[in-house]
Amino acid sequence: MTEPHDEPKETTPLLNPELTRRGLLAGAWAAFGAFVAGSLGASARFMLPNVLYEPSQRFKMGKAADLPLGVTINKKERVWVVRDEKGVYALWSRCTHLGCTPNWFPAESRFRCPCHGSNFNVDGDVVAGPAPKPLWRCAVDVTPDGDLVIDKSQMENRPGFRDKGSFHVTV
Amino acid sequence: MPSLQEAKDKLINSQIWRSMFRGGTWKDTSRDRAQHILGNVWLHLHPARIRQRAVRFTYTWGLGGLSFGLFMILTVTGLLLMFYYRPSVELAYRDIKDLEFAVSLGMFLRNLHRWSAHTMVLLVILHMVRVFLTGAYKTPREFNWGIGVVLLVVTLFLSFTGYLLPWDQLALWAVTVGTNMASATPFAGAEGPFSNLLGITNANDARFALLGGTSVGANTLIRFYVLHCVAVPVVAGALMIVHFWRIRKDGFSAAPLPGDAPEKKMEVWPNLVVREYIGAVLMLVFLIAWSVLQNAPLEELANAGVTPNPSKAPWYFLGLQELLVYFDPWLAGVVLPGVIMMGLMAIPYVDPDAKRGVGYYSVKERPFANTVFLFGVGLWFVLIFIGTVLRGPNWSWYWPWESWEIHKSLPPPSWSLVLVDLTDKAGVFFSSQKTPGLRIPGFLGIGAALAAAGGMIGAYFGAGLALPKLIHKEIPFRRALWVTAVASLFVGVAAKVAHVFLRHHDFIGKNISQFGPTEIAYVAVVLFIVVLMGFLLPQKFLRTSPQSPVQYVTTMLLLLMMLGVILKMGARMGFNIKYILSLPAINLNL
Repeated sequence: MTEPHDEPKETTPLLNPELTRRGLLAGAWAAFGAFVAGSLGASARFMLPNVLYEPSQRFKMGKAADLPLGVTINKKERVWVVRDEKGVYALWSRCTHLGCTPNWFPAESRFRCPCHGSNFNVDGDVVAGPAPKPLWRCAVDVTPDGDLVIDKSQMENRPGFRDKGSFHVTV
Repeated sequence: MPSLQEAKDKLINSQIWRSMFRGGTWKDTSRDRAQHILGNVWLHLHPARIRQRAVRFTYTWGLGGLSFGLFMILTVTGLLLMFYYRPSVELAYRDIKDLEFAVSLGMFLRNLHRWSAHTMVLLVILHMVRVFLTGAYKTPREFNWGIGVVLLVVTLFLSFTGYLLPWDQLALWAVTVGTNMASATPFAGAEGPFSNLLGITNANDARFALLGGTSVGANTLIRFYVLHCVAVPVVAGALMIVHFWRIRKDGFSAAPLPGDAPEKKMEVWPNLVVREYIGAVLMLVFLIAWSVLQNAPLEELANAGVTPNPSKAPWYFLGLQELLVYFDPWLAGVVLPGVIMMGLMAIPYVDPDAKRGVGYYSVKERPFANTVFLFGVGLWFVLIFIGTVLRGPNWSWYWPWESWEIHKSLPPPSWSLVLVDLTDKAGVFFSSQKTPGLRIPGFLGIGAALAAAGGMIGAYFGAGLALPKLIHKEIPFRRALWVTAVASLFVGVAAKVAHVFLRHHDFIGKNISQFGPTEIAYVAVVLFIVVLMGFLLPQKFLRTSPQSPVQYVTTMLLLLMMLGVILKMGARMGFNIKYILSLPAINLNL
C-alpha cells in the first residue's frame, strides 16, 4: 500500500522562472556598474566643498566723493575703481585669459597682463593679446553716508549691461 | 693578518651574510651570479643574463634607469622635507624659509629636491625620444609605450603640484595660470565652450574641484600637498611597476638584427648592475654639486594682488604658456595637450610596420616617422625656448641682447577673421578693436560666417588628407624643395603687393598696418614648412605605405594639427590674427 500523498502544491517560485542565469548575471553586472558609477559620482561630489572660508566679496572703499578721477588701484581686494566724469565703476583685476593680475600703465592708458601679454583699455575691453573676453565689472553702490561699496559676487562684462544698473554709480 | 681578499671571502661565506643572500656558498660560478639576481627581491627585476648590445651605453643612454633613480632621490629628499613642512597658508612659506636658513642641510635638501625634479622631467622626455628613435615602441611593446606616455604626464603633474607648496609668488601664479586652464575645459569648465548651456559656474566646475574654492587658497594648498606627497606618487609607483614588468615580459628591444649571428649573452651580475651603479653615482655627484652651487628660487610670499612681471612657469611648462598666447585657453590648455598625449599613445598603432627599425637608431629606415616625431619634439622645445629666453615684461618679445628696462611699444590690436554675434544676430568679418569689420546682419550673416570659417578649416584638413594620396606620381624631392621655397617666397611677395593696393581699404589697412620684409618672411617660412611637412613628406612616404585608411587618417590629422599650430602662430605673430572663428555666446574661439 502506498502512502497517500498530497497533490503537488502550487508553490510560488523564489525567483521569476523567466530569469535565466545569464539574465541574473547581467543584472548583477548592471548593479555593480551602478555602484561603481555612484561611488565615483559621490567621490567627485566630495571634492566640491560646500562651505568656503574665503574672504567676503563685498567691501567698502572709502568715501565715494573722495575718489580721484582715473584709475584707483586696490591690490588687497583685487579691483580697480575707475572714476570718470559720468561716475564710478569697478573692474575686477583678473585677466579674463588665465587669471593673472594685469598692471595699470597710466601713460598708455592700458591694463597689461604679465602672464601672456593681454592688453585691456580703461573700459575693460581687450585691445591686444590672447584674452577672450572683456574684464569683468563688479557691482557698485554708495551707502547713505557716502561710502562706496563694491560687490565682487555680482559681475557683468557685456557692453550695454555693464555700464548701467548696479554696475555703475554716479557720484 | 689576513689579506683583504681573505677577509672578504670570510665575510661573504659567513653564516650571517649567506642568510641575507640566498644561494648557499658563493663559488662565483655562472650559476651563482644568476642566482644572485633571481634570488634577490631588489635585483630580480633584471634578467639573469642580457644581450651585450642592450648593455651598451649609447643604446639606452641609461635614461629610463636614471629617471627611476631620480624618482628615488625625490622620494627620499621629499620625505625628509616633509618633516619640517606644514601645508597651511600661514605656515608654509615660513617653513620653507626655516628650511633654508634654520634647518641643518635644509637648503641643500630643498635644492636637491628641486634640481632632481627638473632633471627628471628632462630625462623622461629624452627617454621617450630614445625609445622612439630605436623603434622600441613597436609590437609587442605598444602598451608599455602608452604607460610611458602616462608616466610622462604623471611626472609633469608631480612637478606642477609640488610647485605650489613653497607658497611664494612663483608658486601662486604658476598654479593660478595652470588651474585656470581647467576652467577652459569644454563642458566641465566655467569659461570653456558649451559650459554655460549646462549651468556650470566657477563654484562647481573642474577648476573649483581642483582648487577646493574659487581661487588658489588654503584648500588648494592642502589638496596639492596630498596629491604631491601621496596620491600622485602612489599612481606613479603603480604605473612604474607595470612599466618595468612589461619591459621584462615583452623582452628588451635590442634584439639581434636580421642576418646577425645569435649574440652571446652577458651576465647581469656584475656587468649591468655595476653600470647602473656607476650611472646612479655619477648622476648623484652631478646633482649634489648643482645643489651646493645653486639655490632653488624662492620669491616673496604669495600675494594675490600682485603678479610678478613677467610671470613665468617652470621651463617644462613654458612651451604651454607660450602656446597660450596664440590660442584660446580651451585649445592650448586642454585640447592640444590632450591631442598631444593621445597622439603619442597612438604612435605604435598607426605604425604599419612592426618589424622595421627595431633595436637600433633607424634614421634611414624610418625617415617619415623620425622626421615628424623629431619635428614635433623640436617644436615643443622651440616654444620652451621662446617662453624662457625671448619673453620679457608684459610678455613682450625681447631678444637676449635687449634690456628689460627699456619699455617695448604696445602690441598692435588683434582681429578675428570671422565673428558670430548671436546676441545681435549677425556675422562679422575682419572685426577688431579698431574696425567694426564687415557686418552681415541676420541669420544670413551667421550662416555665411559659419560657412566661411568651416570652409577654411575644412579645406585645410580636407586638402591635407587628400592631396598626398591623390597625386600618384613620384615627385622629385630635391627639385620640389626648391620649387616650394621659391613659390613660398613668391606668395609672400604677392601678398605684399596685394597689401599695397589694399592698404587704404578699411579692413585690411587697419588690421594689417605693417607689411614689410618681416611679414613676407613669415608668409614664406610658414608656407614652406607647411607644404614640406604636410604635403611633400607624406606624398613621398605615406602614399605607398601599407597603412590602413584609419591609420593614415589618424597620422595625417595629427600632423596637420601640429602644422596648424605653426600656421596659427604665424598668423598671430605676423598679422595679429587672433581668431579664425569667434563665437563668444558659447565661449568658442578657434
